[in-house]
Amino acid sequence: MKEYFYYPGCTSPVRLPQYEASTIAVLDKLGIKLSYLHNANCCGAQYVESLSPNAFVAMSGRILALAEKFEKDICVTCGACNHSLKHAKHELDNNKELRIEINSLLKEEDLEYTGAAKVVHLIQILRDDVGIEKIKDAVVRPFDPSLVLATHYGCHLTRPWELAQIDDPENPMIMDHMIEALGATVVQYPEKTRCCGGPLLAMDPEASNRIGLEKIENVRSVGGQGIVTACGFCDIQLAQVQFGGDLKSEDRIPVLQLPQLMGIAFGIDEETLGLDLNKISPEPIINALQEVKC
Amino acid sequence: MSKELHSPTSSFAMEIASIPGGEDIRKCIQCGICSATCSVASVVDKYRPRKLIQKILIGERNEVLKDDLPWLCMMCRTCEDRCQEGASPVDIFHVVRQLAVKEGYIPDAFKQATKTVLLDGWMLEDAYSDFIEEDRENLNLDTNLEWNEEFTRRLMSKYFKGVI
Ligand code: SF4
Ligand code: SF4
Repeated sequence: MKEYFYYPGCTSPVRLPQYEASTIAVLDKLGIKLSYLHNANCCGAQYVESLSPNAFVAMSGRILALAEKFEKDICVTCGACNHSLKHAKHELDNNKELRIEINSLLKEEDLEYTGAAKVVHLIQILRDDVGIEKIKDAVVRPFDPSLVLATHYGCHLTRPWELAQIDDPENPMIMDHMIEALGATVVQYPEKTRCCGGPLLAMDPEASNRIGLEKIENVRSVGGQGIVTACGFCDIQLAQVQFGGDLKSEDRIPVLQLPQLMGIAFGIDEETLGLDLNKISPEPIINALQEVKC
Repeated sequence: MSKELHSPTSSFAMEIASIPGGEDIRKCIQCGICSATCSVASVVDKYRPRKLIQKILIGERNEVLKDDLPWLCMMCRTCEDRCQEGASPVDIFHVVRQLAVKEGYIPDAFKQATKTVLLDGWMLEDAYSDFIEEDRENLNLDTNLEWNEEFTRRLMSKYFKGVI
């Protein structure tokens, strides 16, 4: 069984614990074990990145060094962490001076960055370690093709390509193919690769909201009945914005994290996937399963 | 990309171009594709990445460094993918932010978030309530999140003296 260190970041454990739980459950079903990286720190996100580029690299550098110590690669599920850790790795692998500076800080805890640990996002594990065929095989209750879903990848999952190495930032399709393997239909919508607006929340909540709602309207315009995400931040934002405006409750489009959706088709029970914690009830999606194969 | 570079015309543009990441300012031809593609520009009238770069090119140092505008960029990098000249407004604005920090201008939202992260070791200590702990318990997840703040506090004294 392949094993990774799971670095869930700071947002999901508090605001979206169901993402963490469904990730663990789904990967377990697919033969991948996650164990926790104890005593870690936040990656610093755009805040520390903007104020001190070196401190930003140091924060992720420590996370990478912790993983190295236990000889494991790191699995992330958040776009911001994905960016921070991959950026830090790139800097530390290519900037000798900076590596010396960060290592002198890590030395106090007997840690060292050598570049041995890799960083992969959940989607990469599903693509590279598991593969579409195995995902298909794990399905016990496929969705009905009449269920139409839209995907939102998250900017910091795909850009910049040189660091992220996940999918074409202008036309990402990996997650779309995975969802098709679960039986559902995936629809393309205008401005699919646009940002959810989340990063603007602290500076201009009103504008952040409008950017998110534009996305919802674009999904609605092509008949999307649900949005599937692969970043905790985006997921929270795309659900949250649907409560700010004057959307009627029946007009809200459910937002699910990819492992939640997969877990439903894999027959994992709803409590384990934390479906009742979703802000917008995913009931219509759960009800779109085909009859159980016997 | 082997595009022709132009020489900066203002001392502010030269200053930006001399800092790693900022050299992209020499590639910008002011075509406006970034503004046309930017999600923030589509909802905030005063925010236009092309215009912000223009302000740098013509040397409006004070206006740029003492304004919230460079901090409205979401770093989504959509414009960077679409810029035909291979320039990255994100990298340019990152350099602008670093200079603004040196001049003592940091928007409150950034200051607060950074302070929280460095003091607590993570972002959401205050938001982690008993209710959420219960949700985690029900999901069979560890309730002790075990964040480390010693390291981030050390970073605070090394990199942020007099900054936040
Ligand atoms: S798209 Fe590129 S060249 Fe055009 S204005 Fe923006 S940064 Fe300059
Ligand atoms: S990176 Fe910044 S300027 Fe470029 S499109 Fe995104 S928000 Fe706009």
